[in-house]
Order: sequence, then C-alpha cells, then structure tokens
Amino acid sequence: MDERQRQPAILPPPHPSDDEVIDRHTAIPTTVGGESPLVIMELLQRMKVRDVMRKEITVLSRRDTMSRAQELMRKNHISGIPIAENGRLYGIVSVDDIIRALTGGWIDDLCAKHMSTHLIVLEADMPIAFALRYFENYKYNRFPVLDRHHQLVGLISQRDVTRALLYELTVAINRLESKAAPDNPAPDDPAALYACREYPVVHNDLENAGKAANDIKRLLREHKFDTRLARRIAVAAYELEINICIHSFGGSLTFMIADGKATVVAKDTGPGIPDIVWACQDGTSTANDWIRSLGFGAGMGLANSKRVSDRFDIVSVMGKGTTVTCQFNLPAGTGADTAAPPPARQGA
Amino acid sequence: MNISKVAETLEGSVVAGDSASGREVGAVVASDLMSDVLLVDADEMLLLSSLASDQVVRTAHVVGAMGVVIHDSKPLPASMLAVSEQLGIPLVSSPLSKYESCVRIHQALESEKNG
Repeated sequence: MDERQRQPAILPPPHPSDDEVIDRHTAIPTTVGGESPLVIMELLQRMKVRDVMRKEITVLSRRDTMSRAQELMRKNHISGIPIAENGRLYGIVSVDDIIRALTGGWIDDLCAKHMSTHLIVLEADMPIAFALRYFENYKYNRFPVLDRHHQLVGLISQRDVTRALLYELTVAINRLESKAAPDNPAPDDPAALYACREYPVVHNDLENAGKAANDIKRLLREHKFDTRLARRIAVAAYELEINICIHSFGGSLTFMIADGKATVVAKDTGPGIPDIVWACQDGTSTANDWIRSLGFGAGMGLANSKRVSDRFDIVSVMGKGTTVTCQFNLPAGTGADTAAPPPARQGA
Repeated sequence: MNISKVAETLEGSVVAGDSASGREVGAVVASDLMSDVLLVDADEMLLLSSLASDQVVRTAHVVGAMGVVIHDSKPLPASMLAVSEQLGIPLVSSPLSKYESCVRIHQALESEKNG
C-alpha cells in the first residue's frame, strides 16, 4: 500500500450553491407573534442537515486496515470512521468494530472485511427535525450524510445539532428583536396590487413552500377579486411553487398584474425537464417518498397549472433550468392600462 | 353549517383560527393528497384530512376553504396552528376517523337541507 492510500482523505467542504446561500438566509425564522417555542419549532424545520453537519471528516478506504482506523480514532478522538472512495460510502468502522477486531485477532485485516455495511444515512437537504427523529429511533451517535447525488458530504452527531441550534437560536432572537418593517407595500395598500412581487423558493424547503401563493391569494382577496379567478391564480402559483421546491435546485416565483392580465412566472436554476410533454401529463412524477408523505408529488402540478390558466408557456433547457408562465385574463377595468412599477423583492 | 357546528358534529374543537367565523360549508372534500385538493373547483370547501402538516392549511387557504378538520386526534405541530392563525383558516381537531367524520358531516348537511 503506498503512502497516498494510507493518508486519510479529508473531504473538502462542498462549495456552497446558490440555494444553500438562500437557505442560510431564510433559516432565520419569522414567527407569528415572535414567541420562543415557535422559534424553536421553526428552526427545527427550517435548518437543514447540511447547515449542521461536519463537512471536514476523516475517511478511510476499503483497503485500509482496522488498526489504521483504531489509530485515527485514538488520535482524532472520534468514535467512527466512514469507509468511502471517491465520495461513495461503503461502510463505517465504529469503536465496537475495533473492540471486536482486537478481541477476535483481526485488527490487521482490511476495513472492507469487518466494517459495518448496514448503514442508516441522512440526506443533506432533510430538516433537522428529521435528524433528531433518527437519533431517537436508531440510537446511533452519528449518521453519514449524503447529497442528492448520493455522495458522502459529511457526518452529523447530536452534539453538532445542539451546538448549531444554540447558535441559530441566539441569532434568531436578536433578529426578532430588531425585526425591520417589510419593504413591500401591505396587501391592503392600493399600490400593492400593481407591484411586481418576487419570492425566492428554496429546494426541499417544504415548510416554507406555499408562502408565496398564500401571499398572492391574500393580495387578490384584499382587492376583492372574483373568488373563482383568485382561486385559479393561487392554485397555479401554489403548484408551481411546490414544483420548484421539490423538483428543482431552487428558483423564484414572480407575480405581476399589468395590461389586463395577471401573470405568474416560475423560474428555476435546473436541472431542467428532459421530456416536457411527459411532465405535463397528469400523474407523472419523479417525487420521492418523503415528498409524497407530505401530500404532494402526485404528478399533477404542471397539468393543473395549465388547466387553470388562460395561457400556459413552458421552456426548459437541460442543465440550465425551467421557466413556466401562467397568464390569466382579468375582467375589464382590473389592472388594465396599468404599468407595473420596478420589481420590489419580497422574502417568501 | 359553520365551523363551530362542524366541530360539534365531529365531537371535536376548533383549536386555531377564527372559531366564530360565520362562513358556511359549501362543499366537502376528504383527502390526504393535497394535489387532489387543488383540482377541486368549489367555493367554501371544508377540507377533511388525516395529514397534520402546515401544507394542509396552506392548501386550504389557496383553494379558499372555510375550514380544515384533522382526524383521529392527531397531534398538531405548533407551526400548523401558527399558520392556521396567520391565514385565518379555522382548524378543527376531531377524535373520529375520516370515514366516520364524512358520514356525520353528510348526515348533518342533509338534516339542515331537509329541515
């Protein structure tokens, strides 16, 4: 075995993507009433495993020996080492495995032979609430964390969660205390109807998905839009918002009223839709079980958005992203001949 | 039938939102799949679901529902109650099963209609 193989690999912290940056930003809770129990509940939902996990971790390959694992555990004061190659996780060597190797006389065998291969892993995009449930259900001290491409990106322990929660809680309380007034006009402001509103939508942030659609619906109700028309617009906005959240890397939802039309534009940053005709059919979906357990992912989003719209356009480029535009004709006198002012950004 | 009457009929209580809302049930939808709920084009919908999540309330708001009922005394997350208050959607918690709730609501609506 050459020296290069013997050196433990240190996984570099992944370069933060745009959605990670946005997610960090939105991890600060805005609660109703600002009560601390709600702040904690929201933190558990909004903070993701990737915000908390340790990204710089010691990793060995299957060709390393159990004694090498023992040495690193002692040196680094750790109780488990993932066995991975090129980001792919094959197993874990724990203190228990080392004790068995010492008593059984196979401490010089390869990790590949004695590592634990029955692994429970967490996904980087999962909420912290999920991680806490895993700690309670499985009684392990740590879990390996995989990204959406099934690559090992970190480890998470209960201690990591506690430390991050305490930090975020302090930040959240400070933020709540000095909460600034919103920069968008209130829904009941006459000017609010014609303001172009843009809402960021974060990948897998299902706890916040729907806020944009709820805000649009509230705006339309405040301005006495016809109930059925308001419902059609809100349904399209909601379906598209959920779609960005569960199927894309993240993006934004924009709503505007001008020239007698209401327009909802959903724009994401990828990965793109390989077959638009297929994706627009009822019942076609690539959603996972987690999404389905929350009541979505039935594959009706695009089809339903199209059904409720007067005009529906979709453009998708693989690797670049997808833009969906839903347009609604407004009754004469509503929003007609009114130019929208420059966009005012609003957090979802 | 308003939301207080719904809660009484289902042996439950209004746990969040405006319990004094005068809105009347216009249609009833029972589903755990929000994608299905979004397909229904009906005013003043009462949404019956076993799914205790924020998204049920958000969906109810989007479709203009007059209230939401969660069955089997399922524990309701604090965030769900907060969203319910924020969006003004009355939330009823009932110990009955979804099937039993559907039957009771149907009987109560029929009874109102007839008399």
